Amino acid sequence: MTQPSRDIRAAAEDLLLSVRDVTKHFPIKEGALQRVVGQVRAVDGVSFDIRRGETLGLVGESGCGKSTLGRVVAGLSNATSGAVYYELSAADAARLDAPAADRTATQSAEIARIEAAHRIDHLRGESAIRFRRNCQMVFQDSFASLNPRHLVIDIVGRPLRVYREASGSDLTERVVALLEQVGLGRQHLYRYPHQFSGGQRQRVSIARALALDPALIVLDEPTSALDVSVQAQILNLLSDLQRDRNLAYLFVTHDLSVVRHMADRLVTMYLGRVVEAGPTRDIFDRAEHPYTRALMAAKPDLADGAAGMRALEGVVPDPARPPQGCRFHTRCEVATPACGWEVDDVVRWLEHRDGLFDALTGVARDSAFAARLTFADAAAARRLDAALRSDAVPAAMRAAIYRQELRGPTLDLAFGRVPEVTLTPRGPDHAAACLLTAQEP
Amino acid sequence: MLDTSPQAAAIAEVRDLRVHFDTKRGRLHSVDGVSFDIRDGETLGLVGETGCGKSVTGRAFLRLIQTPPGIIAGGSIAYRPQEICPTCTGAGCGACGQSGRRPEERTIDLLRIPDEEMRRLRGDRIAMIFQDPGKALNPTLPIGAQVAEVFLQHRSAEVLAKAQLSGAVGWAGGALRRMATQTDTRTDRIALAFPGARARRSALQSALDDMVAAALAETQIANPRAVMRRYPHELSGGMRQRVMIAQALACNPDLLIADEPTTALDVTVQARILELIRALQQRRRTSVLYISHDLSLVRRVCDRVAVMYAGRIVEIGEAEALFRDPRHPYTRGLLAAVPTAAAERGALAAIPGTVPELVNPPAACRFAGRCSARIGTCTTADPALQEISPVHSVACFLHQTEGAPG
Repeated sequence: MTQPSRDIRAAAEDLLLSVRDVTKHFPIKEGALQRVVGQVRAVDGVSFDIRRGETLGLVGESGCGKSTLGRVVAGLSNATSGAVYYELSAADAARLDAPAADRTATQSAEIARIEAAHRIDHLRGESAIRFRRNCQMVFQDSFASLNPRHLVIDIVGRPLRVYREASGSDLTERVVALLEQVGLGRQHLYRYPHQFSGGQRQRVSIARALALDPALIVLDEPTSALDVSVQAQILNLLSDLQRDRNLAYLFVTHDLSVVRHMADRLVTMYLGRVVEAGPTRDIFDRAEHPYTRALMAAKPDLADGAAGMRALEGVVPDPARPPQGCRFHTRCEVATPACGWEVDDVVRWLEHRDGLFDALTGVARDSAFAARLTFADAAAARRLDAALRSDAVPAAMRAAIYRQELRGPTLDLAFGRVPEVTLTPRGPDHAAACLLTAQEP
Repeated sequence: MLDTSPQAAAIAEVRDLRVHFDTKRGRLHSVDGVSFDIRDGETLGLVGETGCGKSVTGRAFLRLIQTPPGIIAGGSIAYRPQEICPTCTGAGCGACGQSGRRPEERTIDLLRIPDEEMRRLRGDRIAMIFQDPGKALNPTLPIGAQVAEVFLQHRSAEVLAKAQLSGAVGWAGGALRRMATQTDTRTDRIALAFPGARARRSALQSALDDMVAAALAETQIANPRAVMRRYPHELSGGMRQRVMIAQALACNPDLLIADEPTTALDVTVQARILELIRALQQRRRTSVLYISHDLSLVRRVCDRVAVMYAGRIVEIGEAEALFRDPRHPYTRGLLAAVPTAAAERGALAAIPGTVPELVNPPAACRFAGRCSARIGTCTTADPALQEISPVHSVACFLHQTEGAPG
């Protein structure tokens, strides 16, 4: 790392961007009337800070909400609830983070002032322009994010023209200077995007993002479409630019080896929630959440000798019905009975059993944790009853069932009620959302 | 020229393969003189960057290159088909080296056989897994029908035997036979809907469904019967890739071409798919040509590795030897470019420049323009692969010994 001795708490004085409890839900519409029948919880209550000049890595599997969150941070889509704040002072951040319940009138007025001055979707006029200039984005697919009918000079010069920074020959010179910064040159000014290779197109995207001299660039998988030697060029370029301009990056990626190389701090997301956050080195040395560990084991570093790959069982559950408790418990190797086992886990398990799922005729839920399952015939109910008492299901799930009553073709099930697992501190600036490691000293 | 030890028989020998493409700018030498062996039962990795010709090489095995614009300009792929070992009937015995298969006497040149014969080999003896299962599966057909196609094309007799319809006679027999080979006509379908034939048609269908379900179950798809009724868009990427693998392995092929099978998948899913391919390959002793751009993956999956650059193989050797001691400057550059924990930020060893234009390339080392260790000969002569140890060959003048050709 370029600045290994950077004191994280000292830098905390200067928050560039603060994400507070952001959710982004997408409605599921059905039928001719497009009635809303559910919500895909793409991002579901995420908070973190980005400090000036640092790189924050955001990792997770596809569908975990990391790209959606990147778009919300860049102001490209509005959060369903929660907010993103720009340039909060430490004092204002503390005021925002104080519990909302016992606010006095003056405190509430204070909050309103902070919201008007810093919340990115409440910004107006000058301050809105200031935020948009300072927060730029680079997309994964450089081909789709550059207009194929525009020349490079139009693409890179556009922000300068929109913000009335330059025009005429001055504009050309500014664009040339930007292109030179990203390793291209004057000869590329009058070319179309399709005339470039993938790496060069990504350089054009970066030049465009740099045009207004931003403080933060959201990089959404900037190198995943590139070859490894080109990826190295782009990563070097990004590091150099960061050093020269004190840029902050939000680096959204699924590639752990890239994030390990680039990021100062890391946020791991799973199904719309943060499961672990902390300094990159700490997390790679001592990951506290089983999901982070599983991600690392699935893609070992080239240098990690012949360490075998360990695969992760199962698939990501439906984000429209995220699991209770810890969202990762359905795939977790070390899940305990207290991790949030619920009726849906039984139903999900049934889907993979030939015959049993087809025999299931109804699920009457009292809550997520208690329900009556009705089968077409008593034999199927008996089979499930027996299976739930055997090794066919995970031991932790078996232990979590506290009531299991078989009455003819129906089976009553009840699990212990478990609240959502929240992030708990694990070390300086390091937090994880796991019951297991929290109990350790 | 190659490190072929005499005892390890090769299932396929590629010699001087040249595949060119006609483009507006001229003739593109996409694959230009590639030679390697795929040994019996091994996994050979073919790595390189975009446009180096690795996929074209893989596709040449099945002649999946559109001509024109493609031109198979030269070379040969000698393939030795295998048959079930007559001593143990596939169980594995001393006579066939526990593989359950033994090479047939004949050798086929895959680039010269007639189209009909190629069609019989495709999906049966040589199978392919494509990069993007979303594109390779037909979105308008349920999964079951797509896997069944493999059996109907290559295992019609077996399907009929399983349904105990081998001896079916009369008009219904003919119609059933045509149904089992996917050559049924509209009249056949109407005929088979009549009460007399309907039972036999459903017997055929259920025999087919059994085979499909077994093939899907092989790739650890839970509840294969439910998956058979689904359409590709209803499945996750990992499931789709499992379906592709089930299709590819349905006929127990001798040679599997895996073209970046996990690139479109998440890392966690990728590990599972690789485990699956590895387990199936070891159990069936299938030889695999594993095409990938991911070095850390290839290192873990392959027995031997060939590194391709600009239509040529620049280095080939046993994975362990090659990764421990890479000799070609390009291989070294590729390995150094992978971000690791140890590398300082901003100081990744990127290879300067870009892949050269492959239209009428000069007779020189293709990497010379980007190579930091370039010497005089590099721009005037073309290096050939040369052995540096019995398990490791490299095409570079820096490692050429005296009196070597080229």
